[in-house]
Amino acid sequence: MKLRKITTVVDDVHREGDRAVNPSARTAVVLAVVENPWAGQGFVTDLGPLIDEIAPRLGELLAPKVAEALDAPIEAYGKAAIVGLDGEIEHGSGLIHTLKFGDHFRKVAAASTLLPAVEKRAPAGTVFDIPLKHVTDATIRSHHQSVEVRVPDAPRPDEIIIGLAAAAQGRPHARLAALSTEQ
Amino acid sequence: MTLVRRVVTVTEEVVTELGTPVSHPARRVAAAAVIANPWAGQGVVADLSAAAARVAPTLATRLSERLTGALGGVGNVTAFGKAALVGLGGEIEHGAALIHTPYFGNVLRELTGGTSIIVFSDERGPAGSVLTVPLWHKTEAATRSHYQTIQVRIPDAPADDEIVVIAAASSGPRPNARIGDRTTDPRVTLSELENAS
Repeated sequence: MKLRKITTVVDDVHREGDRAVNPSARTAVVLAVVENPWAGQGFVTDLGPLIDEIAPRLGELLAPKVAEALDAPIEAYGKAAIVGLDGEIEHGSGLIHTLKFGDHFRKVAAASTLLPAVEKRAPAGTVFDIPLKHVTDATIRSHHQSVEVRVPDAPRPDEIIIGLAAAAQGRPHARLAALSTEQ
Repeated sequence: MTLVRRVVTVTEEVVTELGTPVSHPARRVAAAAVIANPWAGQGVVADLSAAAARVAPTLATRLSERLTGALGGVGNVTAFGKAALVGLGGEIEHGAALIHTPYFGNVLRELTGGTSIIVFSDERGPAGSVLTVPLWHKTEAATRSHYQTIQVRIPDAPADDEIVVIAAASSGPRPNARIGDRTTDPRVTLSELENAS
């Protein structure tokens, strides 16, 4: 795995809808910019070997970092793969849509649900939204949320941004009726 | 009381450049507070000093704590900078009042252990504007290796009646700083350059 840089964003919301959010609502994102392991190889049929090699290392790297940045129990989580213009979205998907990656985050977050994800191909500096859902029950509406981030100089065409997002709570002032009330 | 809506901290660590490990793997951080513009809706206010004295010290303290926290202590701060991004309903002068007076600068300088003048950027723009915040050495401002920047962007700020106030710090120089300094520079004058060409 060839790592270029790590960007960490911590977002604390203190007011929403002109009312105080108390305690403040915290979301953390950690983004690793890595070389696309399939760059320059044309169409690679079997992505498995490099997924097995790299995905676990990314999970090991990012999961403790996002937990440390949040500095609170993780209630909602999500993940991201943003592929540089010379790669395939399949490359990013390969690195994040495997238990070898996600289970590191699940363990740190004491989580059991599927990780919501964003995957896209884009130039450096692209803005992307990482969706988050509750870590043990993806139907809990209060925890459906997203966080918007950007790395000014990544991904280069032969790079991929791999990211994890964690929130210590649901949306500020969440007040939608539960899914069960509509069933 | 100042209404802080949101505080965003961005940290960057460059590990490799062009595929090669960097010589100075420093950590760079920017802390940004989204606040209500204290002068919003009041037209051109002649004297900005009272609100600046009330608002700026608390902001500088809060942001400095984010910086030293992210870098692992004041001893790890070697460079600093500051910035203000004013929402479209305000004046650049409002941002200037918050960051260019001792109420902000002196507090930031003291809490980061610096002595230099603090380099800055200021701008007015819509929510989601990207602002590049410059940094330089906290005690030796002319140290060329420490000239660096970090970008900040908050998707929903500043609203027209808000200001984003930013403080930034770095634990070291640029990742591969290697362009010498005043002490190592050759003598360069325009006339000599013209004669050489």
